[in-house]
Amino acid sequence: MVEAFAVASGKGGTGKTTSTLALGMALSEEYDVTVVDADMGMANLLFHAGLAEVETTLHDVLVAGGAPVAAAVYERHGMDVVPCGTNLADFEAADPARLREVVATLAADTDVLLLDSAATLSSRAAVLPVVLADRVVVVLEPTIPALSDGLKVQEYAASYGTETAGILFNKVRDADAIERIAPKAERYFEGPTLATVPASDRVRAARRNGRPLLAHAPESEPARAYREAAATLTVRDGDSGAVADRFRSAVLPESP
Amino acid sequence: MKLPEGRLLRSRVVEDPRTVLVDALDRELTGYAVFEPQDALLLEASGRGVVTFRAGVPVVAYHTGTDRAGPPALADLAAAGPFRLRLFALAPADLEAVHDRSTFRIPPGMAAERLAGDPALADRTRAAAPPDRPADAVGPAGDSVGAADGDDGGTGERQPGAVEAFLDDAEKIEAIREQARAEAAERADEWGFDDVA
Repeated sequence: MVEAFAVASGKGGTGKTTSTLALGMALSEEYDVTVVDADMGMANLLFHAGLAEVETTLHDVLVAGGAPVAAAVYERHGMDVVPCGTNLADFEAADPARLREVVATLAADTDVLLLDSAATLSSRAAVLPVVLADRVVVVLEPTIPALSDGLKVQEYAASYGTETAGILFNKVRDADAIERIAPKAERYFEGPTLATVPASDRVRAARRNGRPLLAHAPESEPARAYREAAATLTVRDGDSGAVADRFRSAVLPESP
Repeated sequence: MKLPEGRLLRSRVVEDPRTVLVDALDRELTGYAVFEPQDALLLEASGRGVVTFRAGVPVVAYHTGTDRAGPPALADLAAAGPFRLRLFALAPADLEAVHDRSTFRIPPGMAAERLAGDPALADRTRAAAPPDRPADAVGPAGDSVGAADGDDGGTGERQPGAVEAFLDDAEKIEAIREQARAEAAERADEWGFDDVA
């Protein structure tokens, strides 16, 4: 079985990478989880996962005649993690369209694929993870621009045949307000509110330490909320071979 | 809401309301900003948004199209960028009458927090707010909101916060969704995604 989720927001600073790793760790208690940094132009998952020094990243796999996918897979915190490099020249040399082959290969050997996506909808490379995924998890903050951009992500996803698995409110500072805001937001989003994650210094500290939140502060309030989100997310059984074939056959242009 | 015209400081098109709030705070503006949406698709909610400032800190908000004031007015002017923005300076006395209307008031940090989505700017704005506006006092009865909140909480049932008001505006949300669908379809052609969808 395998299901691919794009973790997306359309707006920067919502805590997508923190959320991707936290959901991944929480889901890894029940499933085989692979996390991919698909934010190829502005990668930062490597810093969150303590992989800043590794030799081979997704960029090396995405160049013509590049490394095999397996060389960029690192076992960390009970998950398989595929980081992306931060060198802009490497990004320019990489062909994002090869991502579908990478995803197809990874899909053959995991239960849950989480694609940490770009915080923009302005380029093909940025939107590609949303196109390739089965469903999207929309990371929001309780602000008007974050909600507005989250709605755009959902519409883009739906236009490309990707459903919404749920919404996740991050960096919540006002518990009372979110109780009123979340149900209203749910009217417009196709999936449920998976969790509301409180703003916390622990999240920043985890990032500084290069460790996922659930490893750094597993008993913190935000960590608890992410575990709740993972429990709310129903992972669908997809036939691994069929999913891999679908990724391979996704018709995409050859060059950016 | 009637205001004297004042002295025009700046007139330009901006994408993001954050620009305006930063500018007003940095200038310690006493006066007001007029936001005029440029987007034809969203012009159904036509009209202008007005936010007044005292020493750079937002005080009241009003929308001429919806005739709503306070936090809901912030929602009315949200997500309709780019805006034609005009900033005007006024003498503090010219703002007194408008600033006395408690139903027009917004908490100091609300526009930065909820409209611009920038908690750091909201903190900076709250720090610049005078001590006579403690704890983001808002609402018809001057309900107190936690200083860290900047929105919603404490305004009770009587007056929804800016984010709630935004979500209550089903037409505006539908306009945003429609626009995104049109963009996605257009780009699918451009990017060669059409066979995927």
